[in-house]
Amino acid sequence: MEGECFTLLPRVCAVLAAGSSLPDDTSLEKLLDWFSELTTAGVSLVKDCPCLLEFTSTVVNSATSDPCILSFTLKLVGLLASSEDGFIVLQESSVLDLVFNPGHWEKAGHWEDPCVRIGWIQGLRSLLQHTKALCFFVQAGKQCKWRPHESEEHLQHGLIEPLLQLQTDTSLFVASAASQILAHILIFYQPSPSLTHNSMEKNEAADKSTNPSTTDDGRCPFKAETDQSFTTVVMLISEHLKNSLVSGGDAKLHHAQQSLRLLVLLLTRLRPPLRDSLLHAVTDALEELLMTDLTPPLMDVILAAHSSSSSDVRIHRLVSSLLSTKKPTDLLHAAAAFLRRGLHDDVHTAQCARAILLPLHIVTGQLFLDMDPADEDLCSMAAQLQNKSSCISIICTCLTNSPLITVLDPSFLPCSLDVIISSILLMLRLCSGDTLSVSSGCSGAVRNVIGSSKVKKCALEALMSVSSSPGAKAEVIKVFTLLLKYLDDPDSDPTVFHKSYQVLVRWISVCRDPSSIPDQLKQDLLGVVRKRVCDVRWEVRDSTVEFLGRLAAVKVHHTTDTEAQSACEVLPGGSSSITPVLEEALLDPESYVRASAISALAQTQAPGWQQGAALTQERSEFVVRLLDVLSEDTEGFPRRAVVQYFISWFSSSASRSSLLRRSVRSVLSRGSADLDWEVKVHTLELAKLLLDEALSAHSSSTKELGAQCVHPYAVIPQPVYTPHTHTENGEEDTAALLETLVEEGVVSVLLSGLVDCDRPVALKACRLLIVLREALCPPSHTDLGTDRETVAKVSFLLPKSGWALEIIKILKTKNKAEEENAATLRSSNCIDELKLGEGYNKGWDGVSGAGCERMSVCELLSNLGLDERVKILNQSSDHVQNSPLSLLQDILSAGGAHTQPNTQLMQEVIVDCY
Amino acid sequence: KKLILVFLYCLSGHPTLPCNVLKFKSTTIMLDCALDTTSVLNYLPLPLVHSPRLSKLPGWISKDGTINLEKELKECAGRLFVDSQPEFCLPEKELLDLSTIDVILISNYHCMMALPYITEHTGFTGTVYATEPTLQIGRLLMEELVKFMERVPKAQSATCWKNKEIQRMLPGPLKDAVEVWTWKRCYSMQEVNSALSKVQLVGYSQKVELFGAVQISPLSSGYSLGSSNWIIQSHHEKVSYVSGSSLLTTHPQPMDQSSLKNSDVLILTGLTQMPTANPDGMLGEFCSNLAMTIRAGGNVLVPCYSSGVIYDLLECLYQFIDSANLGTTPFYFISPVANSSLEFSQIFAEWLCHNKQTKVYLPEPPFPHAELIQTNKLKHYPSIHGDFSSDFKQPCVVFTGHPSLRFGDVVHFMELWGKSNLNTIIFTEPDFSYLDALAPYQPLAMKCVYCPIDTRLNFHQVSKLLKEVQPLHVVCPDQYTQPPPSQSHRSDLMLELQPPPMPYRRCSVLNLPFRRCYERVYILPELANSLVPSELKPGVSVANVSAILHSKDNKHTLQVTPAPPSKKRKRVVEEPPVGGAPKPLLSGAVPLEPFLATLQKHGITEVKVEETTDGHILHLQAEDTLIQLEEDGTHIVCDNNEPLRTTIRDLVLRFLQKL
Repeated sequence: MEGECFTLLPRVCAVLAAGSSLPDDTSLEKLLDWFSELTTAGVSLVKDCPCLLEFTSTVVNSATSDPCILSFTLKLVGLLASSEDGFIVLQESSVLDLVFNPGHWEKAGHWEDPCVRIGWIQGLRSLLQHTKALCFFVQAGKQCKWRPHESEEHLQHGLIEPLLQLQTDTSLFVASAASQILAHILIFYQPSPSLTHNSMEKNEAADKSTNPSTTDDGRCPFKAETDQSFTTVVMLISEHLKNSLVSGGDAKLHHAQQSLRLLVLLLTRLRPPLRDSLLHAVTDALEELLMTDLTPPLMDVILAAHSSSSSDVRIHRLVSSLLSTKKPTDLLHAAAAFLRRGLHDDVHTAQCARAILLPLHIVTGQLFLDMDPADEDLCSMAAQLQNKSSCISIICTCLTNSPLITVLDPSFLPCSLDVIISSILLMLRLCSGDTLSVSSGCSGAVRNVIGSSKVKKCALEALMSVSSSPGAKAEVIKVFTLLLKYLDDPDSDPTVFHKSYQVLVRWISVCRDPSSIPDQLKQDLLGVVRKRVCDVRWEVRDSTVEFLGRLAAVKVHHTTDTEAQSACEVLPGGSSSITPVLEEALLDPESYVRASAISALAQTQAPGWQQGAALTQERSEFVVRLLDVLSEDTEGFPRRAVVQYFISWFSSSASRSSLLRRSVRSVLSRGSADLDWEVKVHTLELAKLLLDEALSAHSSSTKELGAQCVHPYAVIPQPVYTPHTHTENGEEDTAALLETLVEEGVVSVLLSGLVDCDRPVALKACRLLIVLREALCPPSHTDLGTDRETVAKVSFLLPKSGWALEIIKILKTKNKAEEENAATLRSSNCIDELKLGEGYNKGWDGVSGAGCERMSVCELLSNLGLDERVKILNQSSDHVQNSPLSLLQDILSAGGAHTQPNTQLMQEVIVDCY
Repeated sequence: KKLILVFLYCLSGHPTLPCNVLKFKSTTIMLDCALDTTSVLNYLPLPLVHSPRLSKLPGWISKDGTINLEKELKECAGRLFVDSQPEFCLPEKELLDLSTIDVILISNYHCMMALPYITEHTGFTGTVYATEPTLQIGRLLMEELVKFMERVPKAQSATCWKNKEIQRMLPGPLKDAVEVWTWKRCYSMQEVNSALSKVQLVGYSQKVELFGAVQISPLSSGYSLGSSNWIIQSHHEKVSYVSGSSLLTTHPQPMDQSSLKNSDVLILTGLTQMPTANPDGMLGEFCSNLAMTIRAGGNVLVPCYSSGVIYDLLECLYQFIDSANLGTTPFYFISPVANSSLEFSQIFAEWLCHNKQTKVYLPEPPFPHAELIQTNKLKHYPSIHGDFSSDFKQPCVVFTGHPSLRFGDVVHFMELWGKSNLNTIIFTEPDFSYLDALAPYQPLAMKCVYCPIDTRLNFHQVSKLLKEVQPLHVVCPDQYTQPPPSQSHRSDLMLELQPPPMPYRRCSVLNLPFRRCYERVYILPELANSLVPSELKPGVSVANVSAILHSKDNKHTLQVTPAPPSKKRKRVVEEPPVGGAPKPLLSGAVPLEPFLATLQKHGITEVKVEETTDGHILHLQAEDTLIQLEEDGTHIVCDNNEPLRTTIRDLVLRFLQKL
């Protein structure tokens, strides 16, 4: 296809150069993407597509080019010159100098258009991939006057100056792209550490530098000839940053902000000598800026500096100043950012912990921070908390970040962990309107948080994350009591219910000993759960059912030496008390709830499956009920859940009961006929389990139990399936195995999946069929005599209706093609050989009546063209529309329509539209 | 210009059962006439069939044996109950003469239950204004109350315990019951009919003139069918009466908020009694508890009024029944007025919310309970006797009254189901404390769930509403100016306004603050034609008017003075005053500095100027004379020196303009 594209390219270039209209505004970007892919794949565009060079020079020299085409051309030139060869060609043709000369575009009146400026930047960004490019970047200005009205001294540093100016461009996209490229230059061309630090590494680096143009980490190796250019660039960028980091009017602030963003990029990616010198250049300016309104972006810079040079006294001072800001919200955010980055030092960590806990200290009135009531920070924070909107946001920030504090070394903490946990609990109580335990001093703030679902959720989240901290166990009863209150509160938002359940499960798992929970609480929990499964809101019912499932899945230990037990035991009556609740939920009108109930039941029954417990009458009836759900439920979710139920049962059961076998067969036949593609995928998953089981048994028998390391239900690596041995017994086993798979309906499910119109289903089925073929069917070309025949005799009854017709059609098409290609191959055709019926002999034309066709499984598998099919299915459904060829054709046809408008046709189309 | 005094007499201390009297511009208007039925909680229930349990309760004798009230007071689970026909606490009758009331404005059917006591026993001769649904449903509720009482007559009427000396010795809550001597037994159906015959029907936004002095107009309040707030206004003053309003989307027409704007005074009553219980949450809780009980094989008892929230409950259940698999569970609604209530609700289409109104045109019944009845899911009966006993199947859900659990069919179900913990009683009416209601049934095994559904405004909504309508002053029950006693830290559960609201309690008399005090006077066209205005300053013209002020029905008109009688005619006996040629009017201000200069020219030099709040006082020390120069007047105080006074007067006049 590539060749075809290259053929079309000259015409496409002509269309583009002529300024014809494009199919859509993303066409040029897509074209560039294709060029980039080609370049990455090693194609030399300059050599293989000479028309591009012609195109660029036409556009660059044309005065009337469209700005979009210009922008595209600038980017394209950068891409062409990204390889050293291309660079040389372009430089020799002096296109490069012209294209990257801003003066040229200014003169032509195109520079005002932001899309040209951004094209220029992105072109440069593509270009700057090798040392020659850097030299060009620094030298370019000296060779050509890019701004005729400016004096010579301004031109001495090449393209760096216009680039620095673009960093404060009025267009944010241009400014951001300029910052990105500045960062790219410093990061990409920075000297490799090996050259500066370690002589051993230096040698290695020298070896590498002889071969590829970049190092392992994708950066440019340091070369002597670039040294001078790079030093100049560094000096100019440092100077620029230093000068722009000043406070002042709006324009200056904007400038400073852009530079701060650039600094963050640089400080996180630059290596020590360069990073240190850059930091040294800007530290004074940063200190001054701390007095302005720029705290949020400044915070990122200072923290980035701190993480890279924590020992620097000046940086230390900057962090101290940052954490001494008088603006409560800025302080809170700075402290949170400090801890989030995992920065720790003796002074600031404790300070941050206090700052984060301050809102909690004020609102809960717990006063655990040992602060003077007249403290300035405390007063300003208290004032902020009086305002409803800022209060909610501050409290949420505080709660969201409080888990960061709980993982700190206790020496940094201003109070013990249990105090923090009880403050979070108190906050949750305040949110639900329980204000009795709060001092009167913060009533304004308390008033703001009452009933706030946002604060409730943040506090619950915080409570969840502190569950694993030391000392949490002591709070279990309090947490339980509070969560029960939340679950009993009819005004709670469904999302709060959901979160409360999650927290409860987490704390139950922390608790480890359910017997320590008072019986009354357990009773209350059961009462609440029973009530909530009857809730009017389906979300609440769903969360409740889901909670019961999770509870069943959580394992708790009474003591270290006892066996793990399901957390359901936290409810009076254990899992037997929740099963009726869940079975009731199977009748819920909301499909999500029914699905959750099925999943939860699977989780409650899992321990029984694992222990191989005998099936009770109720359980058997329940299985029948589930099968009914699979065939009768009108919604997809419960049906998917049913298939998953059987997947869990099959994969975790210790023994294969006859009920399980029977049910699985039933699930396979019903699931594969489902209308929902996800049900079908799940059914294939179940089929895969059966296949895995069969194949692992097969491989262990053929390998004489050599695969003991493989888990019976684990996904088995491909090679294990290959029929290594072909002893007589082995073949008989294989045939029996295949027979079983046919009988169990696995083969039928896979074949019906193969012709499914949903790609994920067909793909999965196809992959599994390949696995089956590779594992059990000997290749047709191998001469295995009777052995092969034994397996090949295993046949499959192909019905003459539904999906089977599709299979037959495939076989027919493939056969026809083969007939046409080589008549001799017909003698080896499976259907001929096995004399499978008259239908085939008639050319399959008569296959529409009732009845079935018996076919050999192996021959069938080898004749379905599975390998080609999997390749096609692997491609996304829009691969044809998204191919470069299609793109080029679109551009051509749009250009053609534009250049030769067929008015009559267009008129017809319009009339048709209306 | 005259000062208007507006008084508000507060006859009820209950914030949601209001009864206030407004004396405004020579009219006396009673705002609502609610009956405080919480007093019945002190009485023993009236069982429909003989209850051995209740009849065996021990009587009360004081510890020292001196007082024996065995027949009047019975003890149950540690509490004392009066064994008598229940009595109600009436609005205060002694604060003002109720016969002087001109009109009674009713805001909703819950706030008119004391009407017969006022209209039939105080010499009331006025009119009662209410909307049609208020009248009809109010009548149902009164009829139901009367039937509940008359069905189980009790000959005995306990009065001894009301003796102050005795009451003082009783244990609480009887000891703390207030005004027990004023408590009255229920009225008769005849009194109800007589009282309701005085009702005049009004529609929303209809304007009714009262004696030409004020205009009253009901506005939709969104709380119940036909519920209204009232605007009472004269030409220059506006009083809004907000009682039992709701902003929630339930069955009634939405609340009309905009008409409440620009009020001088807004009287605010009937906020939610359950500020922390969100009605939606409670409705959900109601449904889930109901489903939970039925699933476990128990019965559900819902003590409720026969109109109001029950419509919403049935609507909610209509949607919930299928989702909770309750399709086979029977729902019973038992009340003497059940049928009428369910049917009335369907015919008041114009009083319903928009959604329900549109259904009528489909045509479909606006409330889905019609479908529940049609499909036999909901059955209604006048009482437990008759058809009900043969249809009754368990487990079931029963809606029945009275929510106090002291009378009505609910008493029977309490006795029947109270012993099993499978059954649940769900309280949805917020008027009674559920613990007090349950007290005479203790010990009780059945589960109790309290889901008070009160759709009236909460503090958050009312603050928003007041910010929107911006009344100059707000008058409200004392209870709204502080957090509820049980939640003293919840500063969000009170009204915080600027200026602070004027609180009232039972028996308070408030002088309402009115800033404007003008009267509208009409000028007849002939008189207006004769006026010659002269411009005082741009946009302001004045003219002399000589006329006769004619006042009738609180309307004032300026009429042309008749021509002076000819000399030939005889003097008429009542001769209208003869208007002489009007004196010229003066206008303008006396500027201080030029005036001082003028005085100096006329030899008055020793002038001490003192600045006052309204202007200046000039003390002419040598002449011992004072000149007060104020914005709206100039006074010359000059004893025994007429020439000087005249001189000064003339000097002042020089600065003024004659009209």
